[in-house]
Amino acid sequence: MSVSSRCSWAGVLLTLAMPLRADAQDRPAGWQRRAEATPIPVTVFHSTQSANLPTAETLRKGEWLFEISHRFLPPVSDGADALWGLDGPIYNRLGLAYAPADRVLVGVSRSNLDDNVELGAKVRVWEGAAASVPVMIALNGAVAWNTEADTLAGAEDNELQAYGQIVLNALLADRVALGVVPTLLHNPRIQEAVSESVFALGLNGQIYLSDHVSVLGEWVLTEERENLVYDPVAVGVELETGGHFFKIVVTNSARMNPSQFLGGAPFEFTPDEWRLGFNVTRLLTF
Amino acid sequence: MGKTRATIGRLGLAMAALPAAVGAWKQLGAQEYQVDLGALREVRFISRASIEEFEGVTDRIDGYILLDGAPLGPESGGSDTELYFEVDLASLDTGIGLRNRHMRDNYLEVEDHPYAAFSGGVAGVAPLSAGGFRVTATGGMSIHGVEREMQIPCDVTLRGEGYRARCSFQVLLTDFDIEIPRVMFLKLANEIRLELDFSVVPAGGDS
Repeated sequence: MSVSSRCSWAGVLLTLAMPLRADAQDRPAGWQRRAEATPIPVTVFHSTQSANLPTAETLRKGEWLFEISHRFLPPVSDGADALWGLDGPIYNRLGLAYAPADRVLVGVSRSNLDDNVELGAKVRVWEGAAASVPVMIALNGAVAWNTEADTLAGAEDNELQAYGQIVLNALLADRVALGVVPTLLHNPRIQEAVSESVFALGLNGQIYLSDHVSVLGEWVLTEERENLVYDPVAVGVELETGGHFFKIVVTNSARMNPSQFLGGAPFEFTPDEWRLGFNVTRLLTF
Repeated sequence: MGKTRATIGRLGLAMAALPAAVGAWKQLGAQEYQVDLGALREVRFISRASIEEFEGVTDRIDGYILLDGAPLGPESGGSDTELYFEVDLASLDTGIGLRNRHMRDNYLEVEDHPYAAFSGGVAGVAPLSAGGFRVTATGGMSIHGVEREMQIPCDVTLRGEGYRARCSFQVLLTDFDIEIPRVMFLKLANEIRLELDFSVVPAGGDS
């Protein structure tokens, strides 16, 4: 056998000894993917709402969202005798929303304050990234009726309210969600004889501390009006699970339906006037 | 004879010189099959926790298998086989959008680890009494950036010019450094059953 032949057989043996499999951590060199990886949907705020303000987030088509929220009327400063306000009484809000499409959320909510019943809709109109910052934009609006507005004279004749909002959300550094919510509110104070349309600006933010825990805050800049002298403010903590969001807040406003809290708060946001409240939402599929 | 030896010599030198020798081997009689993108493809995971059971499903599985050229049979398998399959994890759907996001972002972390991949070969082929074969694949399973050696049993039947594979096996999330959520109301089992159903066709022949 010649030298060249011995080299040739050595080459064959060397080749056969080479590993034929690629390392599982890496794609084999010859493997060409035939489809792009599924894009990861944009997420800014995890929940469809902050304490009160809407976020641009919607649900997936066919999903339902049930909400029960309370605001305790006695202030925390009443102390242990009133169980820091938890003895109540309370304002209650019940809501049910449905997603007829991935980008559309329609819902009804009722607050026992003036028996305010609201029919609303939100449409997520755009999401993407601007300079690597995830951004989501939605339009939100509703019509509300105060079906038992007997708390002050004059309310019976001016029960209809409405509002429209542009919801602008952005996420910074993967953990800090910010929202700006310019709002046109019709008839902020139902006790007035004449309805007016006013501008309010909602600002909200949320810091996601971990996969499940975040802290949130919101502030609605609105005109001073009778009995609604102050800007509504709420700060709190949110716990999210597979299908629930739990929010515990302190706020100067016990008014929960948007047509109510957007008009202003009756108390100043100082520790003496803080009220406790919570929101619980549950995602439902059938 | 001299001519034959010279041919072998040239071939041997060429194979020794080329690191892409696998490609040459493929041309020497191996048959490559690819996942049939036009046929049913289904990857399903099932989590059975004490209170809540849920599933996730996707059709985004792709990959290939190299056999030694002969029809699949008990003599198939060994070092002259090769396979690679991957699943696009961002496409997994549990039926609830919020849960999908939790799974993507918090547990699978698909932005950093977009695919689950299995790379290895055929360890053994055994005929089944009902027809077809029980094929045992062995190799490395890579999920969440962690690789574990695994053996995966699949029932394989003839389908046209290729094969249909149905595989069922279990993985432990802790084996892949995937956090098991401990927050109340979110129940996720550590033991996740995986069920795969897909077909392969000779390379270039899928629809």
